[in-house]
Amino acid sequence: MDTLTNGTKISIQGVTKIFSGKRDEVIALKELSMDVQDGEFIVIVGASGCGKTTLINLVAGFEAPTHGQIILDGQPVTGITPECGMIFQQYALFPWKTVQQNVEFGMKMKRMPQKERQERAARFIDIVGLKGFERSYPHHLSGGMKQRVSIARSLANDPKVLLLDEPFAALDAMTRQVLQEQLVRIYEKHRKTIIFITHSIDEALLLSSRIVVMTARPGRIAQEIVNDLPHPRNADVQLSNRYMELKRTIWDSVQAEVMKSMEVETH
Amino acid sequence: MKIDSTAKSLTISIVSLLIFVTAWELVCRLGFIEPLFMPAPSKILFRAIKMIDNGQLIAHTLASTRRVMVGFMISSLVAIPFGIFLGSSRFFMAVFDPLISLLRPLPSMSWIPLSLLWLGITETQKYSIVFMGSFAPSLLYIIEATKSIDPLLIRAAKNLGASKLDVMREVILPGSLPQIIAGLKVMLGIAWTCIISAELVAAREGLGFMIMNGKEYFQTDTVLLGMVMISITVMIIDVVFRKFERRLLPWTR
Repeated sequence: MDTLTNGTKISIQGVTKIFSGKRDEVIALKELSMDVQDGEFIVIVGASGCGKTTLINLVAGFEAPTHGQIILDGQPVTGITPECGMIFQQYALFPWKTVQQNVEFGMKMKRMPQKERQERAARFIDIVGLKGFERSYPHHLSGGMKQRVSIARSLANDPKVLLLDEPFAALDAMTRQVLQEQLVRIYEKHRKTIIFITHSIDEALLLSSRIVVMTARPGRIAQEIVNDLPHPRNADVQLSNRYMELKRTIWDSVQAEVMKSMEVETH
Repeated sequence: MKIDSTAKSLTISIVSLLIFVTAWELVCRLGFIEPLFMPAPSKILFRAIKMIDNGQLIAHTLASTRRVMVGFMISSLVAIPFGIFLGSSRFFMAVFDPLISLLRPLPSMSWIPLSLLWLGITETQKYSIVFMGSFAPSLLYIIEATKSIDPLLIRAAKNLGASKLDVMREVILPGSLPQIIAGLKVMLGIAWTCIISAELVAAREGLGFMIMNGKEYFQTDTVLLGMVMISITVMIIDVVFRKFERRLLPWTR
């Protein structure tokens, strides 16, 4: 009960995930626990292969933990739930649907009346700045535009939590910056709980309200840092001493983990 | 530039066809080949004009085309939903796999005796031959096509609240449609072989019947005309099918 009164949105409780191959087992996550408060913007940073994606897949219900459990709004996650809207690095748009039809997808699955979902989709297409592209097919859009469609598609479905798995990693630096700013604006306006995965420390500092650094495999939490940088996090903030200090702290712990994982690989 | 080169290839093709037909005509006219074995193109053309005149050519062509289309449509309409269902269910795939494996190697010809016994020399028998000849291979094409879907799209659909049935209808069907159509194009060719063999064995009309009947009366020109008509009809249907394909797959443009 008290987890609810505390405003805990997601509670990850002693989660271990083991992938069994034909010959060996990989322990992707080991006894990982953390709580995410309602309305938090959590960014998870870690070296590649540390189990960040595994963790977010468990929260989305794509996979089940080997041990432990994940509680969303007081209920254990037992399967894929539309309450956690996922945004993939590879966009995962339906190529045979137009922008409009893609954004309407979740509402169509809820059997929302056509007129209502058309209007709602139009609103979210406008929010991500794609007005005029409603009738385009995804392959006519740039990577940045595709990811905006994917964000609109998730938001239109009104999930309680947004999960983003390195969403901007495949985009060029300028597009990435525009989308980061857009995401912050959306977060400030809609106050969704967000879990965002990245390997960019700058991205983590720009977006988050709290940063979680993960260890090398098996993934555990190495460090949690409350990001107290003031908003908006413009150029001045990015040049401030506090920014540099936080960046160094995070870099030190990420670097240590990267070195560890490289040692494991060379052995 | 593009139009120029297309026009050029087209000219070359037409010239090559003309040379081939002229050579054939000359070889026959100069008496190198017995007309009973191989009539000259002009003879075939005269036969065509005569048979168009008395309406037989059109009647035979339409009879065969109708049989192919009806049999093929029924086979596709059953194979598409069934294939998508099997492609998305491991359990039912295992249930039906032995049956499909048994049916697949059977040539449509091998169904002719049984179908004649059950249905007689009827239109239904013709449809059933086309169906039996094209159903199992179509089904396999469609099951294979469902495997080409990016699993991430299925995951995304479920994440947006899609049920199993929604995933089949909204993701697996449209996602595998380009491959399904490519497979059905091949199957349409096979459907034609089915119907011609069925008509060669037992029929009262159709291009296969026309060819067999021509042979009975030593009208080799009728035999060849029947063969040419099969080629032309399949080519026309292929063009129509391609137009239809573009309509069905607007996102691939």
